[in-house]
Amino acid sequence: MAPIANSLLAALPRKDYQRMLSGLVPVDLGFGDVLYEPGKPIRDVYFPSQSLVSLLTLVEGHLALEVGLVGRDGMVGIPLALGIDASPVRALVQGGGPALRMNAARFRRELRRSPALQRELNRYVHTLMAQISQTAGCNRFHVVQARLARWLLMTRDRLRSGEFRMTHQFLSHMLGVRRVGVTEAASALQRRKLIEYSRGNIRILDNRGLEDAACSCYEGIKPS
Amino acid sequence: MRTRSTPKQNHLLAALPAADLLRLAPQLEPVPLPLGAVIYESGGEQDYVYFPASGIVSLLYVMNDGAAAEIAVVGNEGMVGISLFMGGGTTPSRAVVQSVGRAYRLDAAQIKREFARGGALQRLLLRYTQALITQMTQTAVCNRHHQLEQQLCRWLLLSLDRLPSSELVMTQQLIANMLGVRREGVTEAAGKLQADGLISYRRGRISVLDRAKLEQRVCECYGVVKRESDRLLASHAVIAA
Repeated sequence: MAPIANSLLAALPRKDYQRMLSGLVPVDLGFGDVLYEPGKPIRDVYFPSQSLVSLLTLVEGHLALEVGLVGRDGMVGIPLALGIDASPVRALVQGGGPALRMNAARFRRELRRSPALQRELNRYVHTLMAQISQTAGCNRFHVVQARLARWLLMTRDRLRSGEFRMTHQFLSHMLGVRRVGVTEAASALQRRKLIEYSRGNIRILDNRGLEDAACSCYEGIKPS
Repeated sequence: MRTRSTPKQNHLLAALPAADLLRLAPQLEPVPLPLGAVIYESGGEQDYVYFPASGIVSLLYVMNDGAAAEIAVVGNEGMVGISLFMGGGTTPSRAVVQSVGRAYRLDAAQIKREFARGGALQRLLLRYTQALITQMTQTAVCNRHHQLEQQLCRWLLLSLDRLPSSELVMTQQLIANMLGVRREGVTEAAGKLQADGLISYRRGRISVLDRAKLEQRVCECYGVVKRESDRLLASHAVIAA
């Protein structure tokens, strides 16, 4: 049997995972797909394997800030695990790739049957909360360049790849700054030969250098 | 001044079915929440969870260099110490009493045991966790996008909702620490609110004079947090879940 790519699923007892299997549908998430809109019911949960999903908060109806980044370390659809049916955030695919999908009714049933699933999800929620509070603090204190570096590293860790697609517009939503701010920060990192950026493709050239350029927040939330 | 408190002053405890509260009651230890007391430290282990009956506890995110910013406030609508039952171990946040009050605490082993039973308590605490996530998320976005004056209004309203009177004992330096900004910024924003007759400020006391105007002046973040919290924690929703 192939190793389980999603670490949340991998942490479950084998028999719980086996029981869930028939409800897990392999899907390919496309770059830019919207999985949830704020206030709308959650119909499915997603366990990313090679994909990456951003949780975005809106203000005044506009995209405003990324508050969470979910990859193979987690699950998209956390409110369901907390007993809430609607998503408070927009969930946007920012790294296309495979994930496993389960519909909400089946997920609730599995949650009732498997205390281990609830336990693993709670643990994950806790790390997600650390990520959110760090975002709040980081936004307050750190400059765009250091935040961009942190964000690129978080993306790299979750995709396990140093190369990914990303537009300025997208980054500006992620970081909650204007496009021109993103352009300046990305150019600065490029001049320092830490990244290469062209036509929406970002390639990390110097991992150590980028880690040094990132704010201290990066250390705290590296997924295991 | 010391007023008597009962566990039911805490909305989470009050929302529990009678049988659950009866079982918990002997284990709930009433404790004071003195101003400035650190309930838990960033990165430290937590020995208890706290259900405030009155007062306000501020959750601060602490950076490596010691700078801190508030990510949520907790009053008698909530509880402090969710890491204990969410199984995450330590947190990168510090919990500090921002306004004096009293709380009921439950030790680590007991809350873990109670949570593991499932049932109404677990459902309630998970819903509260979602309400707290909403508050933290909104704080992050507010820090990023809104003027300090709006943030100050949000902070005052969130505090007022958790206090019995319209007066806060609070220095501008403390507010600056909470919001993670320089004191001069708070002085300027508070000065403007005072000039417009919304608050009066003297010697470490802030009185809110015109709450309606404060609500007009605040950014949407206050309303989002309040509505979401009211909705998630309406007791009928919890019991019916």
